[in-house]
Formats: sequence, C-alpha cells, structure tokens
Amino acid sequence: MNSLRSLKPRLQGGILLATILALACAMSIGIVLADDAKAPAAKPLPPPPPAPEKTSATKPEKPALKKVTGAELYQIHCNRCHPERYATEWNSGEWKTLMTHMRVRANLPPAQAKQILKYLQEDSGN
Amino acid sequence: MKIHLHRFGLLPIGCALGLALAQPVAAVTDEEFNALKDVVGKQGQRMDQLEQTHQQDQKTHEQDQQTIQKLQQQVGETQQIATNAIQKAEAAQVQPVHPIPPGPASTHNFMVVGDAEVQFGKVQGQHSAFAMADFAPIFLFRANDNVLFEAGFDVTLQNGSQPGGGSSTHVDLSFAQLDYLFNDYITFVGGDILLPLGTYSERTAGWLNKIPDDPLARDFVPGSGIGMQLRGAVPIGQSGQSLTYAVFGVNGPSSLDTNGLASNLDLGGNVGDTGNWHSNPSGGGRIGWFFPWKPHYDVELGVSGQSGEWDNAGSHLWSAAVLDAAVHISPFFEVKGEFINSWYGTDDSGNVHARGGWVQAGYKLAGLDLDYPVINNLELVSRYDRVDDGLGTRTDRCTLGYVYYFSNTLLFEGDYEFVHSRGPAALPSNEFVFQLSYGF
Repeated sequence: MNSLRSLKPRLQGGILLATILALACAMSIGIVLADDAKAPAAKPLPPPPPAPEKTSATKPEKPALKKVTGAELYQIHCNRCHPERYATEWNSGEWKTLMTHMRVRANLPPAQAKQILKYLQEDSGN
Repeated sequence: MKIHLHRFGLLPIGCALGLALAQPVAAVTDEEFNALKDVVGKQGQRMDQLEQTHQQDQKTHEQDQQTIQKLQQQVGETQQIATNAIQKAEAAQVQPVHPIPPGPASTHNFMVVGDAEVQFGKVQGQHSAFAMADFAPIFLFRANDNVLFEAGFDVTLQNGSQPGGGSSTHVDLSFAQLDYLFNDYITFVGGDILLPLGTYSERTAGWLNKIPDDPLARDFVPGSGIGMQLRGAVPIGQSGQSLTYAVFGVNGPSSLDTNGLASNLDLGGNVGDTGNWHSNPSGGGRIGWFFPWKPHYDVELGVSGQSGEWDNAGSHLWSAAVLDAAVHISPFFEVKGEFINSWYGTDDSGNVHARGGWVQAGYKLAGLDLDYPVINNLELVSRYDRVDDGLGTRTDRCTLGYVYYFSNTLLFEGDYEFVHSRGPAALPSNEFVFQLSYGF
C-alpha cells in the first residue's frame, strides 16, 4: 500500500504533464491546419511533360533535393532562440565573430553557418 | 524695192506663226492658275515657318553657347580646387615607416554583446519592489578564423536578499571558454564551459527566455563547469537537418563542507570558493537531432546526461539525465520543454532522487494578422513547472504572461505565477513579475 501511495503523486504529475503535452500538440495541429487553410490556393499545374520512353537501360530520375539558401538557413536557425537581428546591426568582421560564437553555442554545421554568414555580410553595416 | 516687198511678205507669216505659238498660252484656265497660286502661297508659308524655326535654332544655339561657357568656367574652378587639394595632400603626406601589407584588413575582432534587465516583483502578502537589476555582458575575441575566446559576466543587484532587508551586489562569471574550431566536425571547448544538459543554459537563459524566472527544475543540474568539451554537428542532406553531439569532462558537483550530507551538494562545479577534493572528474554529453521541414517549422529532440563523484571521499555519485524537446510551427508558435532527473547518494538521506520538468509555449499575436500594431507586438506565453527535490519538497508552478516587443532587442515581460509548494523548502506564494530586457 505504501508503495502505491508513493506512486500516486508521481502518477498525478505524469498525467498532468501528459495532458499539457497533449494540449500543446492539439494547439500545434490546429495552428498547422489554420496555416494551411490561410495559404493561397494552389495554382493549376501546367500540363505534364510527355513521359520519356521507358527503356531497360534508363532508370527513373529522382527529383533533385532542394538546397536551402543562406536566407532560409538564417530563418531556420536564428529565430529558434532569439528575435531575428538585422544584418545592418553589425559590420562584416563583427558578423564573422558573432557567427563563430553562434556556431559553437547552437552547434551549427559549419557549412550552414558559413552560408548564414555570407547572407548577413552581404547586407552588413559599415 | 523688192527687198521691202519681201519684208512685207514675211510680216503676215510671222504674225500667223506668233498667233499659232501663242495659242497654248492663251489656253491656261483659271482653275490651273488658282491652283498654281495656291502652291506658290503654301511655299511662301513654308518659307515663313522655316525662317521662324531658324530664328529659334539661333536662340537655342546662343543659350547653349552660354551654358557651355558657364560649364567651362565651373570645370576650371573644379580643376583649380582639385589642384589645390592635391597640393595640400602632398604637403601633408607623411611617408609610412613600413609599407602596408597586402591582404584582408584584419584577421581578429573584439566585440561585446549581452543583455541587461530590470525586474519588478510583488509576492502575495509582501510589498512590491524593484527586485533585481542585472547587466550581463559577453566579451568575444576572435583571434583568427578558428579561435574564439568568450566570457560572460553577471553583475547583479538583488534587492531584499539580506536577512532583515537590504540588497547585495554580485559579480559572477557565467562562463569563460576558449573555442577552437578543429575541423568541420569537431570543435574543442575548454575553460569554464556552459554544459549541454538540455538546451536551457546554452540557448535560453537571460533575456532569451520569455519568462523572467528560470524553470524550477534547472536547479537540479549545473549550468557550467570547469573542464573541456568536444562538440560538433553533422548535416543530414541539404535542407538544414543535422545531428549534433557534445562530450565533456568537468570537475562536476562537489561538497560545500567536504562531507556527503545532502544539504552540502554544490552543483556550481567548483566555480565558487570551495575546493574540489574528490579525485575523479565527472563526464557527460548530449546527442541532438534537429529537423526543419521549412523555415520556422522545425522540431529538435535531445538527450543528455552527466555523472561523477561529488563528495570529498568519492564515495557518492551524482548523476543526471535530461530529455529536451522544442517545436516551432510557423513564425508565431513554439513549444519547448525539458524533463530532468538527477540522483545522488548521501551520508544522511540515502539515495536522493530529484526530478522535475517544464513545458513552455508562446504564441505571437502577429499570427492573427490583425491590423493593430500593439497587438502585433505581443506574444502570449505560458509555462508549467513541476519539481520534487527528493527531500520532501514538491512544487507546482503555473505561469501566465506576455512579452511585448518594443523592438527586436527591447522586451517588456510580465507574468503572474501561481505557486503551490509544500515541504520543508517550500517556495513563497503567488507573485507578479515584470521585467524590462535589452539585448545588445
């Protein structure tokens, strides 16, 4: 019985946390659906190109993966933790220092950090 | 006489011929004459127009000539000024002692970033007061492309912190570390390092947090420690997805009074004024997975932990495990949280299991797309904390609040905390907290 009593508050806590997580997930789904509903209607697709003739020698080509740009990586990474900072707030050299700091702090892959740095330096202040 | 006769004979012939030849002239009609007259008249008009045009051209030409003369004068004056400037520059020029080396202007850079806060609070049943002022600069020095020194300080004035009233001022070193970018996959970090136990210490503390108070469960794990760390990230594909890792060894928790009493556990990692007498450092790490499916839409999951001796005799272990998660859906909505478990052996209380968790959500009202600037600058935030310190004190805290963004760096936060705490180390009652934060 004692062990059951000690389990009770843990169980209550677990149920509470699970309820909050479920509510958060429900809100997320609602926002995603609302966002999709807000999105403009998709444009009619152009007629499909003529299908290539299938031969035993040719393999179906996979669609090329989209490579994200420096601007997109800036949106992806920077806004996760803090309000976005404007490129003009620091000069080119300062951005280099800051991106070195953020690469370590946020554990960013170097190639992505370099793309973000390039994007910021293009419009950096003097 | 014959001759005269001939002459008289020729006269009628000439008249006849004259009449014959004059006959076509006499055939021009009035219509033809009028048409010819019109043509001549039109030609006259054209001549007049051409004459007017010519006069206008002459006037324009004269104006152009005047303009050219003015421009020539200005060019002359400019040349004179330039000549004078060159002469002055040549007169003032000092020959450099050493030639300027080619290449980039600088390879290193020093800068200061950080944040500052002022906090106003009122605990239920007490007077309200400005509770805290904090200035937290971070000094960054990039020695070259691969080396960065960074140190963060907290200069804090805490009101009402002394028994019987009064305030106290503290200057604390939050972290002081050397970062060496070894290659694309390994970064070495050494010094007083921020510990990757969850993500709160590294990425959410200070003005970045949307609620002035730290989550209660963060009291169960250290924020920093003296030691070394290897960390890095491996990109997956080209869409921004990545796996991250961190492995570290630090002095770890110690005993405030050399013995293994539960109340003497010091999670400060020996950054304070206590000695570190246990022989073995503690170790830990974190593995994380970050998956963005488009900008502002991402999920991050992480698992981390640390374990090591904490009492002087080295007979007790302190261990912790942390699960962290964060989800962003649109630029307006985020949920993040951590679940923290820690265990440590003691001389007086046996094995203590301290645990807790927090979940925090925020929604920026700009997502409602309303045309009201005040509303668009607001973010509603909420957090639920639950902790059990393993020594008989349990606390539930629900926080409701807002963040008002004056700009991307100036924030005004306000929260009301519903606190329900019981046990020997119970927290005070409900309270209001307001905080003005500036990040620089």
